[in-house]
Amino acid sequence: MEPKLIDHLFRHHSGKMVSVLTRIFGLQHLDIIEDAVQDTFIKASLSWRKEQPEYPEAWLTKAAKNRVLDIFRTLKAQKNNSLHITQGTDAIAINELFLDAEIEDAQLRMIFTACHPKLDPRDRISFALKTVSGFSIKEIASALLTKEETIKKRLLRARKAIKSANLQFNIPQGKDLQERLDSALEVLYLVFNEGFHSNSKDQLIREDLCGEALRLCKLLLNHQQTQFPECYALFALMCFHSARLEAKTNVNNEVLDLKQQDRSLWHLPLIQLGNSMMYKAVETGDFSGYHYEAAIAAEHLKAKTFEDTNWNKILHWYNQLYKLQPMPTHLLTMAVIKVQTKDYKTAKKYLNQLQPCDLEQRAYLYYAAKADYFAETKNFNEALIQIDWALQTVSNTSEKAYLIKKKACLLKK
Amino acid sequence: MKDFMMIFVGKEYVDLGMSPEELQSRMEKWFAWGAKMEQAGILKGGEALTPQIRRITGKDRTVTDLTSAEVKEIVGGFYLIKAKDFDAVQEIAKDFPDYDLGNTVEIREIMIFDQ
Repeated sequence: MEPKLIDHLFRHHSGKMVSVLTRIFGLQHLDIIEDAVQDTFIKASLSWRKEQPEYPEAWLTKAAKNRVLDIFRTLKAQKNNSLHITQGTDAIAINELFLDAEIEDAQLRMIFTACHPKLDPRDRISFALKTVSGFSIKEIASALLTKEETIKKRLLRARKAIKSANLQFNIPQGKDLQERLDSALEVLYLVFNEGFHSNSKDQLIREDLCGEALRLCKLLLNHQQTQFPECYALFALMCFHSARLEAKTNVNNEVLDLKQQDRSLWHLPLIQLGNSMMYKAVETGDFSGYHYEAAIAAEHLKAKTFEDTNWNKILHWYNQLYKLQPMPTHLLTMAVIKVQTKDYKTAKKYLNQLQPCDLEQRAYLYYAAKADYFAETKNFNEALIQIDWALQTVSNTSEKAYLIKKKACLLKK
Repeated sequence: MKDFMMIFVGKEYVDLGMSPEELQSRMEKWFAWGAKMEQAGILKGGEALTPQIRRITGKDRTVTDLTSAEVKEIVGGFYLIKAKDFDAVQEIAKDFPDYDLGNTVEIREIMIFDQ
């Protein structure tokens, strides 16, 4: 039997080669570069049918090097005057750019380009998945539950923004780095959340997105300039969440909350990896939102059963998080925990600080939390009123089904 | 045992805008199929063909250059195998990876000329 290829070898290699070639030719030639890289994979898929090379990755890298000449010819044929090689034109310099460390460097540049503030926030994820991660338009559309047309438009807009702002293909330095890193981490976390919270029936796509976010975060951690505590914290957080990915849905693709999940399905190696990343994250004592979110996730994972959950500790971390990011969703969660721990007075205090409109399209969560509060304090009439409000504002079908069940329980009381 | 050729006809990957991930998964199916035939000791050879076509036709020998994108169907490649009869080859051809693209396998027997 022929040896099987590494999972996602082509996809990952695509991102690597597009990044290296962009470093050589510049962002303005991205279209030609992507076509040339695509061509390499078609050639590989045909010629490897007959015989698989002993070192597939080396074969692909060599093929991409050969594309350098093809691209030169294409650009010359177009009489493109703007052609100038940024890194010096001699073959030795180009060869060096294909060394592993330089490939990672080029990929980091691509991540920072994709997450550049000049790009519309909605376009950043699509562009990152396409150029850094080697997803096709069709794959991005199905991963983000969006139409292919929309993704095409986003990619086009991202490219336009890159061209009109004349973005440079580099890793930001000094003061810029912190700000740009924040934006990069935000995009990675968004990619992860798209996978983790997706309603897509396709488990593979969800895993792919979470896996990509982890892989790209790892790239940041591999690079000396970008080993910031918040990168470690985000990596830990994504490990902790990923550990629960399989347990999060049942066979009918229904979302299970922490109370219902089979905790034996939680993936221990990821929890351990997350823990060791957390040690690195806290070395400096500088804590970001990701630190607190990771601490909360870790606390949930520590509990052997739902009843064992240490709510006081979780609440402590939420308080810290709320101080750093005074967001209504955090306050609402704190209220829910207070109801959970039967501290109704504080729960009420938190709820009174909130307005349904603070939570925008997630106002139903506010009503549902209030319903829980009234049900626990035996004020069933008021609880029913709140549930009805929640039902009127919810749009997600599985959440709606959950609320209807809750209402039925209340009516029996 | 007789010699047969399986000829693959249809669309080319290059014209379908496939992602690297799709290309890899298709190629792995081709691997598996090739390896299966090789293990059974029936594979005699095979080639993939490039999408360029030079067509010479008619008594004037009119020459046209085409690519796969300009034609409805193209022969993409072939395998030469040993098998008992057409039915046996049909069984082997079940593993052809590209039926879902609308592509076709044509089975032809290699002619033996008696003296």
